[in-house]
Amino acid sequence: MKRSFVLIIFTMLALSVSAQKYMTKNGFISFFSHTPMEDITADNNQVAGIVDISTGELVFQVLIKSFHFERALMEEHFNENYMDSEKFPKSSFKGKITNLASLDLKKPGTYDVVAEGQLTIRDVTKPVTVKGTLEVTATGINTSAKFKIVPEDYNIAIPGVVRDKIAKDLEVTVIMKYSPM
Amino acid sequence: MKTRTKTVLIIVGFLILAGAATGFYLFNLKAKDLTKVKPDYVITATDLLKAFEEDEVSAAARYVGKTVEVNGEIGAVTQGEDNSLNVALKTGSDFSAVICTVPLGAAAGSPEVGKQVTVRGECSGYLMDVLLKNCVIISQ
Repeated sequence: MKRSFVLIIFTMLALSVSAQKYMTKNGFISFFSHTPMEDITADNNQVAGIVDISTGELVFQVLIKSFHFERALMEEHFNENYMDSEKFPKSSFKGKITNLASLDLKKPGTYDVVAEGQLTIRDVTKPVTVKGTLEVTATGINTSAKFKIVPEDYNIAIPGVVRDKIAKDLEVTVIMKYSPM
Repeated sequence: MKTRTKTVLIIVGFLILAGAATGFYLFNLKAKDLTKVKPDYVITATDLLKAFEEDEVSAAARYVGKTVEVNGEIGAVTQGEDNSLNVALKTGSDFSAVICTVPLGAAAGSPEVGKQVTVRGECSGYLMDVLLKNCVIISQ
């Protein structure tokens, strides 16, 4: 997994010198579960990602163990019972902005974007389509998006005894602030 | 009611209360404050990265989930969306660092680029960098 990610990075680097590639190692992903019984949030500030605004290609990768919960016991259950993070330590997204042709990213501003790609969690890969924004600033590119995932789609088994405490679909927030490579 | 039955009921009641209190305590337990935890490993940022670059599987088995104390020079400091700090320690590599996330409210001092620091955190593993979470900066 690591080798393939490094390979993707170097392939993207090698493809074109003039391409406009931006990178971050401090991206943010959080997920939020709301039920009448309990709200649960987990944050991760160590997301690595690259966006190429000449082709619209996007890739990011995250360590499951980097998610931080308010309560230690939740973090332990998340890693050991639900995500099996020793066996499946990483998750990734690889995709493309599909409406790039209609955007003029040479101008600073905030643009609505749609990204389509493959989301991999616990070695299960599913196609996802995500709406978000892309902001061109003087110093780089910021992207943000919110979307929902269903744990069971990724073979995450939630025991019946806690099923009522965890939402059927989790809201995922992704905020990336990229700098030029 | 016989004295013996009463005693048994009191003991059972006490055990139920103690169990509920322990459960409540464990349920609400926050992440450990690592300023008070003895590290499992003490290592330089350069050596920690080297361990993962040379053999990620054995380095993960050794360090992931453990409390690791890392010494190094700060190469970058960035603020996260949840107001945590990401402190990147130099490793001698142009591309990879040891990135330590210090949560809001944890001991951070005043991290600045160029300072030599000792950071204690829980190792999460290796992406392009070695990542540590729940960090505290214990000396600078």
